[in-house]
Amino acid sequence: MFKKGDIILILSIALIAAAGYISLKIHNTGGSHRIAVIIQNDSVIKRIDLDKVKRNEKIKIPGKYNETAFVEKGRIRFGHADCPDELCVKAGWLTHPGDMAVCIPNRAIIKIEGYANELDGVAY
Amino acid sequence: MKKIAVAAIVIAVLIFGAFWLKSDKHFEQQSFLMGTVISEKVYGYNARKASAEAMARIGEIENTMTVNAQGSQAEALNEASGKKSIRLDGDIIEVLETAKKYSSISGGAFDVTVGPLVKAWGISTEHFKIPEKEEIDELLSLVNYNDIYIDSNNGTVRLAREGQAVDLGAIAKGYAADQTIEIYKRWGIKSAYINLGGNVSVLGKKPDGTLWRIGIQNPRAANGKIVGVINIQDKSVVTSGDYERFSEKDNVRYHHILDPHTGYPSGSGLMGATILADSSVAADALSTAVFVLGLEKGIELVESLEGVEAVFITEDKRIYTTSGLKDEFIFDDESKEFQYVQKR
Repeated sequence: MFKKGDIILILSIALIAAAGYISLKIHNTGGSHRIAVIIQNDSVIKRIDLDKVKRNEKIKIPGKYNETAFVEKGRIRFGHADCPDELCVKAGWLTHPGDMAVCIPNRAIIKIEGYANELDGVAY
Repeated sequence: MKKIAVAAIVIAVLIFGAFWLKSDKHFEQQSFLMGTVISEKVYGYNARKASAEAMARIGEIENTMTVNAQGSQAEALNEASGKKSIRLDGDIIEVLETAKKYSSISGGAFDVTVGPLVKAWGISTEHFKIPEKEEIDELLSLVNYNDIYIDSNNGTVRLAREGQAVDLGAIAKGYAADQTIEIYKRWGIKSAYINLGGNVSVLGKKPDGTLWRIGIQNPRAANGKIVGVINIQDKSVVTSGDYERFSEKDNVRYHHILDPHTGYPSGSGLMGATILADSSVAADALSTAVFVLGLEKGIELVESLEGVEAVFITEDKRIYTTSGLKDEFIFDDESKEFQYVQKR
């Protein structure tokens, strides 16, 4: 009772649905890759897949404190900052999901998406 | 045959719809307010609108409560100390009333009238300094929560003596968190997380129906390194620690939580005290109170309060919990430096 065309139609719709579902899944979890995000003044300056970094890079962060992010394969940090306490630089290398360094004076954040141990957040 | 094609399309739409619902409309963002980073995760329809309203509300609370900017209501109250009573908004009156309540039950271990001392130490500024002993003794005489006179009928407040000053830094974030959760609820949000500079509050469970897993920061390791986990719903978790803000002089570490009885950074033997409570304003005030009180008196205070639990980390790296947390707290210390002491 099915025509060949119907079967193709049904199969292709099922395929599209499955593809949509899988892409949603991947989008939600970020896959197994460590994604670093640089944020300044509430806007995302750059997203970097740390597992795909080919060569070391310095990224200029906007704002008045002359801040730079250093990126290497699998890790990222505030490399330089002229802010008063330099807590952001002292935070050192970020390597794990959930790691975050913040510069409050410059409203800048570097973080790696997700959390270790499947945490939803940390009280500090 | 057309019917089958239509049916197939309807089914596909339904499948898509189901995935769409399951994936949740959700909104996450980070902002800089109240001198710290605020992270939010809001799930459900209207997540974005609820989040925007919450952030606007936090900004409003900051403008009312801050003592680091001219023109705030807290500044106006401090300016008028010993001279006159002034009319204040409902927000700050509620915070002052709550503050007095927790000052009273903690025997003054938490006291928002430490303002003059906070200023003398230069806490939360770039100009940290160790005041002279004489100066501290003199300013100590100005610290007394009983000198906050609140007339809630007329909406006015008075600080009894000239020079007295409130500092709401140990309670305002908790109030803001509670207000945020109320806004989420009003928008019909069933699941949300907000973190105001380390003060965590959650609404409901996670969208997948499980509890929120909240880590407790390791006081001597990098941000995000933890010593344990608690699983919660509809709760607030607030930590006061000697590591959150501190300055060093001649190799001595001075943290930002002053003991209202001595005028110096509290030396109660704790590195951190974490409170779990239904309300964040309670958790915020109590975390400061028990941090100042220390382990024994802190446990005593928390055990006397309904629906409040605590985790204590002592300077000798032992972790204690109150009785209600015995099974809830999951010790998980990657650094292997801490020891979980199961008491009682």
